[in-house]
Amino acid sequence: MSRRFGALTALAVVCAVVELVAGRGMSPGTVWEVLGGGGDATERHILLNLRVPRLLVALGAGACLAVAGLVLQSALRNPLAGPEVTGVTPGAVLGAVTATALGLAGWDSPLAVVLAACAGGCAGAALLWLLAGRGRGDPAQTAVQGVLVSAVLGGLTAMVLLVEPGELGSVVQWLVGTTEGRVWEHWHLLWPWALVWGAAAWLLAGPLTLLRCGDDIALTAGLAARRARTLALLCAVALTAGAVAAVGALGFVGLLVPHLAVALFGADLRKSLPGAALVGAVVVCGADAAAQLSSRLLAAGLDSGRLTLPVGALTAGLGAALLLVVVRRTPSRSF
Amino acid sequence: MSAPPPGPAAVRARRPALRAPGAQPLLAVVLLAVSAVCALSLGTPDVPPHRLVGAVLEGDTTLAGIVVTELRVPRLVLALVAGACLGAAGLVLQEALRNPLAVPEMLGVSSGAALGVAAPLVLALSLPAAVQPLLAIGGAVLGGGLTLLAAGLGRSPSAVLLTGAAVAAALQAALLVLMVMADQLDLQLIYRYLLGSLSARTWDDVTGLWPWLLVAAPALVVCAPVLSVMRLGDEDAEALGVRAQRARLAALAIAVVLIAPVTAVCGPVAWVGFLAPHLARWFNPGAGAVRWLCWSAVWGAVVVTAADVPARLALAPVETPVGAWTALLGVPAGVALMRSGGRTRARRATAGSTAVPAPVPGVRAVPSGAGAPRDAHAEKSGGGGPAGARPAPAGPTGTEDAR
Repeated sequence: MSRRFGALTALAVVCAVVELVAGRGMSPGTVWEVLGGGGDATERHILLNLRVPRLLVALGAGACLAVAGLVLQSALRNPLAGPEVTGVTPGAVLGAVTATALGLAGWDSPLAVVLAACAGGCAGAALLWLLAGRGRGDPAQTAVQGVLVSAVLGGLTAMVLLVEPGELGSVVQWLVGTTEGRVWEHWHLLWPWALVWGAAAWLLAGPLTLLRCGDDIALTAGLAARRARTLALLCAVALTAGAVAAVGALGFVGLLVPHLAVALFGADLRKSLPGAALVGAVVVCGADAAAQLSSRLLAAGLDSGRLTLPVGALTAGLGAALLLVVVRRTPSRSF
Repeated sequence: MSAPPPGPAAVRARRPALRAPGAQPLLAVVLLAVSAVCALSLGTPDVPPHRLVGAVLEGDTTLAGIVVTELRVPRLVLALVAGACLGAAGLVLQEALRNPLAVPEMLGVSSGAALGVAAPLVLALSLPAAVQPLLAIGGAVLGGGLTLLAAGLGRSPSAVLLTGAAVAAALQAALLVLMVMADQLDLQLIYRYLLGSLSARTWDDVTGLWPWLLVAAPALVVCAPVLSVMRLGDEDAEALGVRAQRARLAALAIAVVLIAPVTAVCGPVAWVGFLAPHLARWFNPGAGAVRWLCWSAVWGAVVVTAADVPARLALAPVETPVGAWTALLGVPAGVALMRSGGRTRARRATAGSTAVPAPVPGVRAVPSGAGAPRDAHAEKSGGGGPAGARPAPAGPTGTEDAR
């Protein structure tokens, strides 16, 4: 077990290094030089004020999404539940887009956008709460209602975007999920939030493991199943809102990384929650590095400098393929 | 209700007047007439209703005449046809998969079709107009096939729904990546299209739909009775001589043929395929699949026509996509209908526990018509959510129980 953790940590370091050298405009040698304290002002700025925060945000957001997904899947006992079907992700997107459209927040002021996204995410979750409130305690239903809430919020986002078409170009990247242009400010907003809620999730690991076994067993073991589920959902929503506010609607990470984590670390959440955080960080960081490399290749191939592949595109592509495997493998009675 | 249930009098007394026999055609006709008149007369220039006939007769001699005959009438016709197609397709999908949540959006069918249409637009490939529906069909088959391949045909509704949501998300992401690659100008156009919009559609677009309808309509007539049999469950259907899997695939193919051409012309108008069938069911809970199919088409047409009025006028001069309106209104309305419909239907109590490995009748939303006493559990919990969204702890392949 600890060997797996070690291997994953090593993998994370490798991904981080690749991520640092993958971008445009600097050779790996220069990066090394700057890290050693050399390099000219421009190079130092690129590396220390753009690439390092980008790397950290990718790691943090990946970890948040993965933990949120695992908590959701355990609490709802549904292997297909993910942050996308809680209404949080579309809600956060809607919040950010609306704030921008109303002129309350520009994309140049990360703080306002992050706050708006957080508020939107919480509003989306509240909407789901209202819908599911009456029939609470029925996990499958909650998941379905989450999908419907997401659909409504998506419609609203579309409305806002069409009324304010000028924003469309800058928002599209955000709708897919991207780490482009993330700066220290994003990271400073993300890490305390992630730390607090991550710790809360880890404290819930024991009860969540019981919830995974089903309400009857949890009740027999003396756990207040409904209260535990409520707390877990709150945790998942908060983590998702933070991550989406930082990198946008990054799809499939929260849905599929938990499956990987459980396969690697077993179903005891006390081990697999930190494992999921690590796997999520590795996946998002690796995908971002791959996206930057392919952007460079594309730019070289197509001879156009403005083409960048958002990291969300890669995770969605990989995710769809993995999803087929996951769904085929899970026994049907677990839905 | 075709036959009033012989249940307690209170049940009948609490039935809303809207569901009285005869109310449905009346309501549909009135709504359709009002929205059609609005669609033809409002806008710039305003043509008062009493001048509409004159304007049409004048044809292309006056401005009002040109606007009405060349812009508004085709748009109205397109709304009617598209709505009818989507509504019918929604019912076919829901009945074939025995899943009240099987809607084109959620199966990845709509997203796939949109991807098939948008990709050449972005990549600046010039294609003849006749190829577009074919591309849309290819995309729709891809999206729907992916979902059903992943989820399996007989999985519980929520499994299919969640898988479909994920597949649709992946396709959407692919679309968004294409959009990132596009120029700003195209972006607007594509985005509007992706939400489903009837703006700037002319007679050419309408005439492009007919051939597909000619294929789909007879197929629908043939498949409607089979759908009725499919509702009994796979085993009973096979006992009656219907090859369930094959029939299901055929129904899916019909749904694709209905959805894809419409998507090619005006984009995936969201959630019509969800709302229309539920309206049809809500008004005739005791009817069979054939009647539901007709009414689904009617309600689909009504919904799209009605939604197109605010889409055109709400934020004038900017047009909003009709798909955004149908999504905003359709989802809550559909869920509410599902709940109230589920409540007045007889259901076996499932004790609300997921751990009971019993087949769940709610999954199939089969109205048993005969008014057994209502499910007290559902009453207490305010309907307990969509009738179809109850957990299916054991739904091996949809061949669960024979009653």
